Amino acid sequence: MKKYDAVVIGAGNGGLVAAIRLLQGGAKTLLVEKHNLPGGFATSFRRGRFEFEASLHELNDFGTADNAGDVRVLFDELGVTEKIDWIEIPEAYRVIARAEKIDATMPFGVKSFIDAMERYVPGSRPSVSKFFELAEEVRMAQAYSSAVNGNTDSKVMVSKYGNFVRAGSYSVNEVLAALKMPKKARDIINAYWCYLGAHCDDLSFVHYASMVNRYIMRGASMPKMRSHEISLALVERIRELGGDILFNTEAVKILTDERDGGVNGVVLDDGTQIASRHVVANCAPHLVFGRMMDKVPESEIRATNARKFAGRGFTMFLGLDADADELGIENHNYFLYDTMDSVAQYNKMRTIQDNEVQATVCLNRAYPECSPKGTCMMYFTTLYMSDDWGNVKAEDYYKTKDYVANKMIDRFEQDTGAKLRGHIEEISVAAPMTYARYCGHPEGVIYGYESQYWDGLMPRLQMMAEDHKVRGLRFAGGYAMRLSGYSSAYFSGDISGRQTVGDIKREG
Amino acid sequence: MPFTFKKQIFGFMDLLRFKKLVPNRRKKLENGSSAALPKSYRVNETAKILHPGYQSAKLIGIEQNSADTKTYTLETERPLYFRAGQYVTLGCKVGNSEVSRPYAISSSPKAALGRKVALTVKKCGFFSGYLFDNAAIGDTFILGDPSGDFCYEPVKDAKHVVALAGGSGITPFYSMAQAIADGTDDYKLTIFYGAKTEHDLIFKREFDALSSEKIKTIYVLSDEEKAGYEHGFIGAELLRKYVSGDFTVLMCGPQAMYEFAQKELNSLNLPLRRIKKEANCVGTRDAEGKIFKLVVHIGFDTFTVPADSRETILTAMERAGLKVPSKCRAGGCGFCHSKLVAGDFSIAGEDKRRLADSKFGYIHPCCSYPDSDMELIVPKA
Repeated sequence: MKKYDAVVIGAGNGGLVAAIRLLQGGAKTLLVEKHNLPGGFATSFRRGRFEFEASLHELNDFGTADNAGDVRVLFDELGVTEKIDWIEIPEAYRVIARAEKIDATMPFGVKSFIDAMERYVPGSRPSVSKFFELAEEVRMAQAYSSAVNGNTDSKVMVSKYGNFVRAGSYSVNEVLAALKMPKKARDIINAYWCYLGAHCDDLSFVHYASMVNRYIMRGASMPKMRSHEISLALVERIRELGGDILFNTEAVKILTDERDGGVNGVVLDDGTQIASRHVVANCAPHLVFGRMMDKVPESEIRATNARKFAGRGFTMFLGLDADADELGIENHNYFLYDTMDSVAQYNKMRTIQDNEVQATVCLNRAYPECSPKGTCMMYFTTLYMSDDWGNVKAEDYYKTKDYVANKMIDRFEQDTGAKLRGHIEEISVAAPMTYARYCGHPEGVIYGYESQYWDGLMPRLQMMAEDHKVRGLRFAGGYAMRLSGYSSAYFSGDISGRQTVGDIKREG
Repeated sequence: MPFTFKKQIFGFMDLLRFKKLVPNRRKKLENGSSAALPKSYRVNETAKILHPGYQSAKLIGIEQNSADTKTYTLETERPLYFRAGQYVTLGCKVGNSEVSRPYAISSSPKAALGRKVALTVKKCGFFSGYLFDNAAIGDTFILGDPSGDFCYEPVKDAKHVVALAGGSGITPFYSMAQAIADGTDDYKLTIFYGAKTEHDLIFKREFDALSSEKIKTIYVLSDEEKAGYEHGFIGAELLRKYVSGDFTVLMCGPQAMYEFAQKELNSLNLPLRRIKKEANCVGTRDAEGKIFKLVVHIGFDTFTVPADSRETILTAMERAGLKVPSKCRAGGCGFCHSKLVAGDFSIAGEDKRRLADSKFGYIHPCCSYPDSDMELIVPKA
């Protein structure tokens, strides 16, 4: 029987990083992936003369060599930064909200952002400045917490990161109200909420501020050859470090030890058994405890049942036969909302019928050469906050996709004045079924477990040690302690990979 | 100026709240239901119908359509659904080789939900020849996922589709016509169906029966002049005679037909978005016949097999009996995506790989010929 120190299940963003960390820590590592490509959602695909980005809107917290963000630091340590050609995203976002009649384009850079906000909302400067001060303290506190692997000293926390602790238990809206931020400024600053998929009454301020800060302070980046370039660079690194990778191979079972219930091995889809005492699962605990393990502690069943799936994904990709100028597509990154009341908006996003939110990217506005001259490409993403796609039968699937695609095009044209119809050369649509197919996620979820108030970033990080209940089993990816999103998934792989190295060393 | 954040009048109340985050979550997790976790989910079950993966399929019907063409009806293990115009791979072991080929589905999407899939195959190569001469009722095959984008796209295509079919290239259009007739799809379909003689036409009876406001078929015979049939090749003049206004052209046929039709279409000034061509399988190349050594890593195993310079790398692996992934056999779908460790190769036609694949040395064996000894890492099928 093949024997490995650790098996990583799933070559998504978390799994790829975990595998490199394991190999760097000297562990003999096998990475298994059910799809024929690495990356999970971090991939690309060709249609005609276009190569579409599958999911990445912009990678936050990357920065530049002089102003390196945490992701760049991580990529440097992994040894992959130089394998990838990066471009910088020109501006943060343009948010258009119908109910509030907001149309604001926000820049990167904390000072520029505060200045722009002051122009849109005179008098907002003090509260928005405080927001970024708080957000920076959040970042510092998190860096401290990571440095001590979550075992924070409460005295240090209160003395050095008092604001962080005092704000740490509140939702986004509660903190912004306490900062006396004018409503319109709150509406504009809340635009990123759909990237985290929980509404601002529920979403932890710490989580949101940490993300906004990482975007605005460091800017955002994009690999030139789409996220597929990152995924292949990570694979390249795994091979350089002597790791084994099996594509088109699904891990179907995790074997457990009779004595301690811990990990003992993995069974692959062709029946091959791999001996290993350590698994990093880059997939949902719902799958691992629901069907991959025969004996699951009741505490894990209860904990898993208690959690709530976050948004189910939907993305439309368009290749257009005219350039962005000609079509009137002015910006790189759009958020189109019915309302900035994120609770009301979240509720509308439960159904196929009512959901008209979109986060839309025109990649050419960041990287004009990403498609042939005289063309441009766009992707439009939304989330469904319930399992409404579960009601769609196979025979209604294509019509339902087209219904949503048409709504998205109409909405974009109406809200921005751009003209897309009559120029669509290629179209491809990914619905929850597509995400379920490629990545196996339940219900086509793309955001892991929702960042609900009680299950937000802070308590997940603080409970990392006690959430680790099955010996040898750790998680990476959007369902894990750092929640969803590219950078978060990379960090979760980093944490679980390094922790597993520690576990192996302790075993001797 | 540093400021002190306070939500409540007394800052320590905020601290207390923070301290409750962990016990709060702990309690929530402990109070979750102890009921068994679900084994599957509705969306994932539907995804299995849309993308069933490989499954075994039993041959339950063979119909001879013309001297060199037969329609094979298969019963699948599980229901599946597809978009009219898509193809599936059909495969089995022939001698010592693992062989599979992509064929357009000629039956309707609705029939597939009832586990029936028909493939119409012209005898013209290794596997089709095997099927034509050997396949018998009751045989089992491996059927792949419905794939490809050679379909009507309501969001972007004109409501009128002009189909140009050459020979066995008619098969996807028969599926489309059935899908229109049974209400699955809604658009106008005008088919120009080119063949050498009346006897080479397949599905003529079926198309005539489906003829309606929405479906019209014009038969174009190149080697025969006959009343009720157009004579010659499908060109601009013929198109102008039968169709006008905004339409989308879908083409399926041999390479020679594409070259002729493309020239003819140029005079109609159609933009790229109005023309779609189904890709043809990559065949052999004219080159000096040499045998190279091909080292293939699949899973934990390594194989060394011969590779003929005139055939694709995929063919070399299949001939050697290796089970390797293949789908479109035209370089476009990326299903055979493999890592090049060493060696030189040439790509048939246009390079359809992703940009990063070229950068990091990945190839599509289905459309690549060996130019030296080679070493590849190939995922298992």
